[in-house]
Amino acid sequence: MQRYFLSRIGQSIAIIIGVLFLVFFMVRVTGDPAALMMSRNATQEDVEAFREKMGFNRPIYVQFADFITHAIRGDFGNSLRYRMPAMQLVLERIPATVELASVLARALGLIGQSVPNFWLALILIIIFAVNLQWFPSFGRDDWKSVVLPAVSLALFPMGQFVRLTRATVLDVRSQNYVRTAYSKGLSKRTVYFQHILRNVALSLISIIGIQFGYLLSGSIYIEFIFSWPGIGQMIAESVAGRDFPLIQAIAIFTSVVIVLINLLTDMAYVIIDPRIKYG
Amino acid sequence: MKQLFITFTLFIIMASMAVGCNNATPESKEPPQDESHEESSVEKPAETEDESPADDAADLDKEKVLRIALTSQLNSFDLPYTLERTLRNVTWAIYDSLVWVDEQGNVVPALAKDWEISEDGITYTFHLRDDITFHNGELFNADSVLLTWQRGLNEEAGNKKSFQLVTDIEKVDDYTVNITTDGPSPLLLDTMSTYWGMVPPKYIAEVGDEEFGRKPIGTGPFMYEEWVTGERIVLMKNPNYFREGYPKLDKVIFRTISESATRVAAIQTGEMDIVTRLSADEADSLRDKDGVEVMKYSIDRVYYITFNNLTSGKGLPTENVNVRLAMNYAVDMDTIIERLFNGHAIPATGFITANNFGHDASIKPYGYDPDKARELLTEAGYPDGFDIGMACPIGAYTSFDDVCQAIQGYLGEVGINADLELMETGKYWDLESKKELPPLFGESWSNSASESLIRLEGLLRADATYSTWTEPTIDDLLDKITMTAKPEDRAELYKELQQYMHDNPPFIYLYVPSTFEAIRNNVKDYTPRAAENYFLYETIVE
Repeated sequence: MQRYFLSRIGQSIAIIIGVLFLVFFMVRVTGDPAALMMSRNATQEDVEAFREKMGFNRPIYVQFADFITHAIRGDFGNSLRYRMPAMQLVLERIPATVELASVLARALGLIGQSVPNFWLALILIIIFAVNLQWFPSFGRDDWKSVVLPAVSLALFPMGQFVRLTRATVLDVRSQNYVRTAYSKGLSKRTVYFQHILRNVALSLISIIGIQFGYLLSGSIYIEFIFSWPGIGQMIAESVAGRDFPLIQAIAIFTSVVIVLINLLTDMAYVIIDPRIKYG
Repeated sequence: MKQLFITFTLFIIMASMAVGCNNATPESKEPPQDESHEESSVEKPAETEDESPADDAADLDKEKVLRIALTSQLNSFDLPYTLERTLRNVTWAIYDSLVWVDEQGNVVPALAKDWEISEDGITYTFHLRDDITFHNGELFNADSVLLTWQRGLNEEAGNKKSFQLVTDIEKVDDYTVNITTDGPSPLLLDTMSTYWGMVPPKYIAEVGDEEFGRKPIGTGPFMYEEWVTGERIVLMKNPNYFREGYPKLDKVIFRTISESATRVAAIQTGEMDIVTRLSADEADSLRDKDGVEVMKYSIDRVYYITFNNLTSGKGLPTENVNVRLAMNYAVDMDTIIERLFNGHAIPATGFITANNFGHDASIKPYGYDPDKARELLTEAGYPDGFDIGMACPIGAYTSFDDVCQAIQGYLGEVGINADLELMETGKYWDLESKKELPPLFGESWSNSASESLIRLEGLLRADATYSTWTEPTIDDLLDKITMTAKPEDRAELYKELQQYMHDNPPFIYLYVPSTFEAIRNNVKDYTPRAAENYFLYETIVE
């Protein structure tokens, strides 16, 4: 099992490096942001001077090597737009996104499998903010302001989660070992907690990791619509403004988190189900 | 039970759709750019119900608080770096410059009492006020002017150009400075009023540049209180502001709402007092709402399709003036405006708009005349038209890709086969700055000075980043405008230039758009100008 864990950790690191590589080159495919950062009446000389200063005119492999050597030391460069350390800006946004995510985990999810979340968001604003005035239409202030964005974000994945849980419970309930458990005279409660839910958990854990990625991408729309100051909003903004260092810092942060969560779910798998053995 | 709940929820959603949902128009971005100040023709529909907003902010009680929605996130309070011009409205609440441009377009004193300009128009002597203190109590004096200029010259400063006009500043005494320019510079005062927000040397020495961009100190009507990134910017009243009796507000709160549909919601609920950049449809949806007033005004921005005689268009038929005229006649601008903008734009007659100094109202749009276009093409030796490359950005401006496709269609009708390529905006601007776009490309240029000179030079000088066309006659006229100090003479030169650019068009002139804003009806004395710029020291919340 130890060998399995070690190889999974190794794989995870390889994935993160792959992500770094992809993000770095992808953001540069379409040119550099000098034109966006300089005022429109700047001379070509000034634009060149900016490129020079930022190092965008160096060969791309030199830029990459430079980026990697700094990234290893935890230096992800300064955001071009904010002129502040990129990773610091990313970390500032984390609490807001985590708040949204933790509220949605508790939120009720009953419908919504087929409703796009940005559409749902606008409808919720019209009903509950404009017409009923129960909740604010945007921002992050008191507990009320988290309700609409959390519901718009959660409805889809929660719907899926609830449906999957139900289907799996039904499936497991008809297994032979459940019948055996009942026939041994165990109480309904014990059968549910010891035998049914434990087996249900296996299939749910495997989708949690995947769901997390969906939530993050969903938060791009939702945070944009609700002006929620989280990481999703920052993704939208930094891509539009070609803030290379910021995009890279976000990509690194989120890929580390997603890879880590998947790693943990894989490990949890092994721990929960003693039948599973690797390596 | 569960089913009942689902049915009920679905019912609510359906019902709300029937009641009327706003269409979510994707927010159009504008390129980072330009300068400031000009008067706008603001129309306010007479629509004033006396109903106070349903305000949840009872705790704000008697404090006069104004809440404004921005459309993008502030990147820095430091003016040489502040990116979008709408964000400079935030920074201008903090700072003052030596001079200010009033609503009529006059340059008036601010932190300078008065000034003299030397005979040759190169040296400006400013006499500074000696009774001004920064928000932290630091005294304003000549050192502040020097530092403001020096900081603006930093290579990373996006607005560096506005500081490069000046080649030297000499401190004569604590309250007198001589500012030397690199030549006669008719826009110097205007530019200073926009970019030269005076900064406190001691404070900056203490906290450093980075911290200063986050926690600014100026002499302006409002003082920094709080900036929670991505959430809110809070400014409070400066009790020692030099314009006595101002500002009228106790507090200003800026919050960014990038999605226009959300801005529409926030003004209706009374969560915001001012929202900007609404689409025509969104503005219409707000017209009958209680407590909300809709404003519409022309902004000083001109849309155009380039011709090119600098790079990609060399040796092409478009170097022939009759071909360029033909292409202007071939496009039915009125129909495009009617169909794509519900009529909320006016055809452009050149790059000097009605808001600009020296505008010649006698010059009319070409009008739609495909027969004349064919005639001109035949005259130029292209009776069967020709093929040419064309590009336009996607998502940069409202409906602009539709505009380009319409133009492509109109050109096709007179035999000109434009091969239109639609491109992602970031890539587009990058190629544009390198002059690597096809000969015909679509773009817009806004201007916020009272004169259009910066825009004209940016478009028509060979060494400018975004220029595509030059001609000796135009260069010559621009030189003369730059060298001429007397306003009447300058106005004449501008008129001459407009006429020349009408007879020899270096562009297909498209349209000047309108913008829509909505305010709560208890907001008074909010007067945005043609560059979407506003100054809040006079603004009142009743």
